Amino acid sequence: MALDLVRTAAPPRPLPRRPGRTLPAWSASAILCGPAVILYAGFMVLPAILGAYYSLTQWNGWTSTARFIGLENFRELAGDDRFWTAVRFTLFETVLVVAFFTFASLLLAVLLDKVRRLKGLIRGLFFYPFVLSILVSALLFQYLANYREGAVNVLLRWIGLGAWAQDWMGDPDLVPYFIFGLVAWSGLGFFTTLYLANLQTVPAELYEAAEIDGAGPLRVFTRIQFPMLLATITTNSVLALITGINLFGQIVVTTQGAPGYRTVTIGYYIYQLGILNNRQGYASAVSVATFLALVAVACVQVALLRPRTVSL
Amino acid sequence: MTSAHPRRKRLPILEGVLLLAGLAVISPCFLAVVNSLKTLPEIIRSPLALPTSLNLDNYAYIFTGVDLAGSMLNSLLMCAAVILAQIVFGSMAAYSMMRRRMWGGRFLRVFFLAGLAVPFQIIMIPLFKEFWLLGIHTTYFALWLHYVSWGLPLCIFIYSGFMATIPRELEEAAAIDGCGPVATFWRIVFPLLAPCTVSIIIFWGLWIWNDFMQAFILMGANKGHLAFVQLYRFLSDQYVKNWNAIFAGVVVLSAPVTLLYVIMQRRFVKGLTAGSFR
Repeated sequence: MALDLVRTAAPPRPLPRRPGRTLPAWSASAILCGPAVILYAGFMVLPAILGAYYSLTQWNGWTSTARFIGLENFRELAGDDRFWTAVRFTLFETVLVVAFFTFASLLLAVLLDKVRRLKGLIRGLFFYPFVLSILVSALLFQYLANYREGAVNVLLRWIGLGAWAQDWMGDPDLVPYFIFGLVAWSGLGFFTTLYLANLQTVPAELYEAAEIDGAGPLRVFTRIQFPMLLATITTNSVLALITGINLFGQIVVTTQGAPGYRTVTIGYYIYQLGILNNRQGYASAVSVATFLALVAVACVQVALLRPRTVSL
Repeated sequence: MTSAHPRRKRLPILEGVLLLAGLAVISPCFLAVVNSLKTLPEIIRSPLALPTSLNLDNYAYIFTGVDLAGSMLNSLLMCAAVILAQIVFGSMAAYSMMRRRMWGGRFLRVFFLAGLAVPFQIIMIPLFKEFWLLGIHTTYFALWLHYVSWGLPLCIFIYSGFMATIPRELEEAAAIDGCGPVATFWRIVFPLLAPCTVSIIIFWGLWIWNDFMQAFILMGANKGHLAFVQLYRFLSDQYVKNWNAIFAGVVVLSAPVTLLYVIMQRRFVKGLTAGSFR
């Protein structure tokens, strides 16, 4: 039905159109868009809508009917201590993760940007953990942090600081930092790379002008690099927020909420309720409430940060 | 004012420090490789020491006891099947929405964009129920349906952004010559999207290869012999962790990814960060 480019180039006058052999516009749209729309509507949108509906029901997942109970789940949620404990822990991790991925990776990116020799290797080392599966990074950290046989404690005992050896995953005061360390280790390279990509767009003339004016590295950072990076700071802080709030896989592999319920995140709580305890209706209510809160916070964050963005 | 550009300044101390810091960052990975060659008592006694002999028993064990080879093949096939569908369906839809005056195109763009915000926790329970009603629960086909639909919003988003940089003249010329829209897309536009397609292959290939959580939840506890699901099942079965075998598994499953990363680091970084510019 179509002509090759080669053939269309050859004839001296344009070929007449052959409307009988081309498809009508609507059917071409259906062929192009159809598969994507059907799959997406059927296996993303429909489950999302069903999830919102289940949040208004009492349902154990196996009976064929979910009993409609209105906003009852949300009322239970408001008084659910374990939910609020999970919220507190998730927010604590989120604050650490957002601060780290926004500012520590910014600092690292500014330093890495100055590196000339072995540039690819050094950047590659920092990025590498992001390539690994969450299962791998979680297992490595679980091994490092093990009290009896973990590498960190063995190393501490070996250099004579045995007193510093801790039960990194069992101590309720330390375990939040263990989880944070794991998340930070996997994501550092990714967030740094986003900053580095942005730093490469800073025109060389700005650096030259700063040098002529006798500005030191600190002033170059505050006056040139930081304002130019504000767009990426917004992106990174929102992405870090999403990473923190949805913290889940790492908990499943490492602590499973222990010690006690100390490291139950909202995501893990939903998993416990829905998959382990068969309270699908209530679990859906928790996920809907969290999702709405996340969207609200992300919108506020973008609204606050976007007007400050500088572009040339 | 010749070569005094501040960005050309040599900073050997900074470079040295950052190189050491980078090595420190990946030191847990070294440890995994070293310890995968030891026996369990050796690991517990001296985790940081190099192995005294080259002991490949752990590798033999995970290939015979856990059937890692078969599940790696399954994962590879799953990656290929999912990515093929995502590229074909995603690029066609993006083209149709971005380049053709299509009825409802603007709505569809927002419709797909919204999918980027949906977290897995919201859809996991209804999705399982839906697959159960369709009679395909815990099958590879159901997982394929989920992976493809889960990835489509990002694919469409990446393709749409890139499509804006392609000149329209080529398509117009093809249309004048009587080339239909579907053929115009495949013969003229799709080849120009190659950089995007590479990014998508890397991003979703790695994502699906590395995923254990979604596959484990949707395929249930016993089905789904995929690489990382197998490893997760293996280690959640044991009360005392057999670190030696776990490390061997970790090394085997991360090796292909690591090899590709070393060979084409730039493309990897580009592909993996492509998903972030929302």
